[in-house]
Amino acid sequence: MSNRTPDRRTDATSSRREHSRSGPSRWSHCRKRGVDGSMRTDEHEHTEGRHSSFTTPESSGPVSRCAAASDWGSQVEDDEMRRDLHRDLQRYRRRILAVDAPHRERKASSGSSGSCDSKEEDSLETDEGVLLRRQKQINYGKNTLAYDRYIREVPKHLRQSGVHPKTPNKFRKYSRRSWDQQIKLWRVKLHAWDPPTDNGTQEDNEEQLDFGDIMDIELDFPTLTEPAPQAARTGVMEDPEGSGTPVKVQRMDTAAASDIA
Amino acid sequence: MCLPPDGTETHPAVMENSTDEYRIQSFDPDTQMLLKTALKDPSSVDLEKVSNIIMDQSLKDHVFSKEAGRICYTIVQAEAKQSDGNVFRRNLLNRLQREFKDREDMRARSIHEWVCYVTFICNVFDYLKVNNMPMVALVHPVYDCMLRLAQPDALKNEEEVDCLVLQLHRIGEQLEKANSQRMDELFFLLRDGFLLQEGLTSMARLLLLEILEFRAGGWMLSSTANKYYYSEISE
Repeated sequence: MSNRTPDRRTDATSSRREHSRSGPSRWSHCRKRGVDGSMRTDEHEHTEGRHSSFTTPESSGPVSRCAAASDWGSQVEDDEMRRDLHRDLQRYRRRILAVDAPHRERKASSGSSGSCDSKEEDSLETDEGVLLRRQKQINYGKNTLAYDRYIREVPKHLRQSGVHPKTPNKFRKYSRRSWDQQIKLWRVKLHAWDPPTDNGTQEDNEEQLDFGDIMDIELDFPTLTEPAPQAARTGVMEDPEGSGTPVKVQRMDTAAASDIA
Repeated sequence: MCLPPDGTETHPAVMENSTDEYRIQSFDPDTQMLLKTALKDPSSVDLEKVSNIIMDQSLKDHVFSKEAGRICYTIVQAEAKQSDGNVFRRNLLNRLQREFKDREDMRARSIHEWVCYVTFICNVFDYLKVNNMPMVALVHPVYDCMLRLAQPDALKNEEEVDCLVLQLHRIGEQLEKANSQRMDELFFLLRDGFLLQEGLTSMARLLLLEILEFRAGGWMLSSTANKYYYSEISE
């Protein structure tokens, strides 16, 4: 991660000129937006010599993720994201309560604990910091031409679990590593929809996907942090054959692995 | 706010509406065209440039600065709808921030420009909402501007007092909701200014008294007070 001062971002123009581009990255043509936030056309855009996965979707340039944004533009965007998150959280809560409601009576009579109707509620992630981070990670993935092409090509009702990428559910409780791994696998799967490069082939993207410091890939993946996950729904397991090498389209054989999809 | 639907933009009457609605008559024809395009098709224009044009004009033209927030709002909405983008808003806000940092110099250079700036930032605060809530990032800066206007050296200028009370009329209630402590702080200054400050014109004192009553009445004037301040005297 590079060290950038917040001041950089107060002048979009000079920041773009200051930081020279070392040339387009292999994946710059996949980005929907340039680093200055404007929509890209098919023209050849220069990006910095960083991996495209590290660039924020719509900004005047990379920002230190540790410091709180001091420019008003970012503050307002973060504020907006926070409000959207809260709204989404309420919606999600209503949805899961509606789903669980029919089962409530049955479970109560079978003597299970009173919290039966909030099993989903228990594994609900509500920490704002966590949700914000997850939302940003999701935004990075959605801000790609691959994602655009994917959602246009495969409508929701035609999606098959395991084959088609599915956005990880940010409201479920997962360990940090579990979540990061889900994101990584999701983004890898999305690359199957990358637009073809100039020379007409879809490149293998291994060396471009540097998830570096957030990826400490373990073969034996911990599942949930809370006790007693019910069905496979709540568990996330690493691909048993996982060597950590991203593959364009993974064949997920295990039932549990279908959760990652 | 009614935006003409797409396809009618070449109709002369509709074009005129745009000009009036957003008060862009003061721009040269090319710039007017650019702004109108920004309203309809934001991704086709350089939004950073557009935000600077609007900002620059707001600092010069007081009439424009009073309603410039509106055109900003429309462009923000249009961009969000068209491409889910935030380029215009981000550029506008960061430019506002830069000017804010240098506001003391600006005021020393030109009271008029300073007053235009305050008018504009308050107008932006009024129009540009996030999920129907005012932008939190602007609350303290706006208060800082208001408090500056309530300083003794500013109260001496009718232009600044006028700006202060006008903005409080428009956004005072929202500001108070966002942070009532600072509103109290502001009104301590205004009371002191009204009572103790020498060198205030009688107009300035009238304006201050009115705003004191206005806030005391829950951001509205009683009918008797209204009569006092605003009716024509028929003699």
